[in-house]
Amino acid sequence: MFAKLQDISVNFGEVRALNNVSLDISPNQIHAIVGENGAGKSTLMSVLFGLNVNYSGQIFIDKVDKIWTTPSDAIKAGIGMVHQHFMLIESMTVLENIILGSEPNKYMGFLDFQFAEKKLHDLLRAYNFSINLNQTVGGLSVGQRQMVEILKTLYRSAELIILDEPTAVLTPAERTDLFNSLQDFKKAGKSIILITHKIDEVMANADHVSVMRAGKLISSLPIDNTSRGQISEEIVGASKTKSISRKKIKSGSVKLHLSDLDVLGMPQIGNSFNLEVKANEIVGIAGVAGNGQSEFVEAIVGLRSSKSGLIEICGTDVTGADIYTRRDAGLCYIPEDRQKRGLALDAQLSENASISSLSSKAFANGPFLRKTKIKNFTEDLIEKFDVKASSSSALANSLSGGNKQKLIIARELSLESDVIIAENPTWGVDLGAINQIHYELLSMRENGHAILLVSSDLDEILTLSDRVLVMFESELSQSFRTEKVTREELGKLMLMKASEKKKRKRQISHEAI
Amino acid sequence: MTALSLFLILLLLLNLADANFFEASQAFLKSAFGGRRYAYLYVTISRCALITGMAIAALIAFRAGLINIGGEGQLVIGGFVAAFVSIYSGVTGVAGIILAILGAMIGGGLWAVLAGLMKLKLGVPILVGTLLLNYPARYITSYFVSHPFRDVSSGMPQTHLLDKSLWFPLIEGTRLDIGFMFILIVYAFVLVYSHRTVPGYHAKMTGHSIEFAATSGINIFNTTLKTLAFSGAIAGLVGAIAVLGIHHRFTDGMLVQPLYAWTGIVAALLINLVPWAVLPAGFFFAALTSGASGMERTADVPKEIAIIIQGIIILFVASKATNIASSSKKKEEGS
Repeated sequence: MFAKLQDISVNFGEVRALNNVSLDISPNQIHAIVGENGAGKSTLMSVLFGLNVNYSGQIFIDKVDKIWTTPSDAIKAGIGMVHQHFMLIESMTVLENIILGSEPNKYMGFLDFQFAEKKLHDLLRAYNFSINLNQTVGGLSVGQRQMVEILKTLYRSAELIILDEPTAVLTPAERTDLFNSLQDFKKAGKSIILITHKIDEVMANADHVSVMRAGKLISSLPIDNTSRGQISEEIVGASKTKSISRKKIKSGSVKLHLSDLDVLGMPQIGNSFNLEVKANEIVGIAGVAGNGQSEFVEAIVGLRSSKSGLIEICGTDVTGADIYTRRDAGLCYIPEDRQKRGLALDAQLSENASISSLSSKAFANGPFLRKTKIKNFTEDLIEKFDVKASSSSALANSLSGGNKQKLIIARELSLESDVIIAENPTWGVDLGAINQIHYELLSMRENGHAILLVSSDLDEILTLSDRVLVMFESELSQSFRTEKVTREELGKLMLMKASEKKKRKRQISHEAI
Repeated sequence: MTALSLFLILLLLLNLADANFFEASQAFLKSAFGGRRYAYLYVTISRCALITGMAIAALIAFRAGLINIGGEGQLVIGGFVAAFVSIYSGVTGVAGIILAILGAMIGGGLWAVLAGLMKLKLGVPILVGTLLLNYPARYITSYFVSHPFRDVSSGMPQTHLLDKSLWFPLIEGTRLDIGFMFILIVYAFVLVYSHRTVPGYHAKMTGHSIEFAATSGINIFNTTLKTLAFSGAIAGLVGAIAVLGIHHRFTDGMLVQPLYAWTGIVAALLINLVPWAVLPAGFFFAALTSGASGMERTADVPKEIAIIIQGIIILFVASKATNIASSSKKKEEGS
C-alpha cells in the first residue's frame, strides 16, 4: 500500500505538535520513524490511524484522498496499529481477542468460529507463527501478546502496519523473532512503520528512516544514504550533550550494607543477598526483567518485607523499618514505575517536587506550607533538569514520559541522600534525557554518594557502574569490576538456561550428600 | 433548556398531585427562607450547619482517599457523648459546654479511628469498616437511652433534658442558636487545612496515589489515623451542636432519621470534594429539605411527591454543580 501524508499540522492548544509534515510510505518496506519523546511521532501516527481527526493536511491511500472519522475507517482501508500498551482482554482466548470487533457471522448472527480459525491458521502458517489460539491471553508472555496484537491487524487484512515502540518490552530473543516476522511481512508486500528510540534496531532492520524533531520532519532517507551518526545528530539537534565519562576515584566507606537478606515473595527460589555499596561508587545490577530485581529493590526501599537478614543504611539498621525511616537514614529512590510510584499524576508539579522534602523546615513553617518557597524550588528543579513544562503548577500528567522521569530524578537527587537507589532510570526515555540522567548520576557519584543502579539495559550498566552483578532467577552473581568483564560474559550469566542452572544445582546437592 | 425541562417535570408532578404550581412553589420558598419573623429561615440555617458539618467530615476523609461513610456512627456517638457528659458530669455553664463539645469530638474521632485501625491492622477496607461501625453506634446508644440513661417520665427512649445553662444561647433578636458559628469556624479551618498545611498536603497526596505517597516517604499509618480522627471529630462536633443547640437532649434516632450524614456525603460528592463549595452545597440541601416539607404542609403535596421533587432538583443541580466544581478543581490544581 502506498500511503502519503501531505502537509499535516496538528495544534494542541497553543502548542504546535506537528508542523507541515509530509511523508511517503511504500510497500515492501520497513519505514522507521525516530525522534525524541514529544517529537510528534505518535501524534503523526494517530492522524494516520484516525485517532486524531483535528488536523490540517491530507491523507492519500493509494493516491485516493481519504478522510477518517474514526480508527475503524482506517482499519477498513487496510491500516493496522500495534500500540505500545496492548489492548487485550486477559480472560479471553487468543482467538476471541483477535476477532473481537470484527466477528465473522454465520446465519442469524451466530459466530462463525470455524471460519475465523481457518483464516488464522492460514496466517499462522504463512508467517511461521506458533501460538495456541485457544489459550487465554492472561497466560501469555509479553512477546506472545504482541504477536496476538499483530495477528489482529493481519486478520483485518492490514496492508500497512504501524508498530509503536514494539521492542521496549521484549527480551532479546523475542526481539529477534519480531524482526524476522517483520521481514516476512515486508516480503509479502506489506508496508511497515516502526516507531522507535533505538538506532541499532533501525540500522539493522529498516529500509527507510525518517527523523522527527519538535513536530517537524527533519529528514526522510533510504537507510543506505544515511548513517548512525547523522541520525543521532538529527534526533537531538544541535544539542548541548554533556560528555559522559566515569572518572577514576577511590570509593569511600560502606553506605548500603545487605547481609543474608532473604526477601519475601521473590519470583523464584533463590539465595539470600549480600551486597555492599560504598561512597563514590556505582554498583550495577544487570539482568533480564522479572528475575527478582523489583522485589529486591522493594525490600531495600521498604516497600516489601524480608524474612531474615540485615539492611543497613549509613550504619543504621533499618531492617523492618518503614520507608520514611529509611529515607531519614539517608536513602532516596528513583522508582521504575513512574506513573504509580514516582508521581501523583493528578497533582501539580510543585506538589510532586516537594513531597519528599516537605518535613524539612525549608518548605514548612510549623504546620503551614511555604508556598512561595515550594514554587521557587520547583522552578529551580525544572530549570536545572530542563524539564519541559508550562509552569510549576501544571499537572504532572501533562508532561511527556521523559520529562516525568526527569522531574522524579530531579526531586530525588535534590535530597542529597547518601544512598541512591535507581531502578531503570532511563527506561523509555529519549536520547537527550538519557544522556543528562547519566551525567547527573555520575556527578552524584563524584560527590560521594553511593548508588545502586538496577537496570535491564546492559549498556547503561557498563557505562555507569564501577562494579557489576547479574541477577538471574532471584540470585545475585558474584561481583565483577566493570573493566575486567566483557559484555559476552555478563550476557551469558543473564541468559543462563534454567535447565543448566537446575543441573548445576542438582550437582551441588549431590555433592552435598 | 435544562431549566425548562426541570420546570415541565415539576409541573407534571404537581399536576399529578392535584396541586397548583404557584401555590406549591410559594410554599416551597416560604418554608425554606421565610416564615413569621424568618422562623423557617433559621431552621434552614440550623439544618445547613449540620449538613455542612457532615459534608466537611466526609470531604476531609474522601480527599485523603479514605472512603469514610461512617459519618452517621461518629455523629451519633458524638451526640450521645455530648448529652451524657452534660447530664452526668455536673459541670454547668460555659465550662460544661466546652466539656461536652470536647467529649463529643473525642468520641466521634475515636469511633472513626477504630475503623482506621481495623484497616491498618486487619485489612478491613475503610468503606466496609466505617459503614459497619454505624450499626453498633446506633444500637449501643439506642440501648443506653432506652435503659440505663433513660428519662423514664418522658415515655420516650431519650435522656433527661440538659441543664438550661448548657443550652446554646440564641442570637439576639432571633430564634437561631450559636451552633452554626462552630461550623463556620470549622469551614474556615478546613479551607486553611486543605490548601496551606503540611498534614492537609500529606492527606491530599495520599488521596491522589497511596503508592506514590508511601514511596515518597509519607507515613501512611499516621496520615490515615490523623485524617480519620479529624473527620470523626467533626462529625462528633455536629452531634454536640444538635444536642446542645436544637434538641437539648439525646433522643434515639434523632440524628439518624434526618439522614444528616448521608446528605453530607451526597453534598461532598456533588461538589467534587472542592472545599470552598461545601458551604453553598450544605445550604442548598438544607433549603431543599425545609422547602419540601413546607410544600407538603401547606400546599397539600403528598410527602412522596415532595421527596420525588427533591430528588429531581438534586439531579438537575448535580449535573450543573459538578461542572462548576470540577472546573474550579482544575483551577485549584492546574493554574
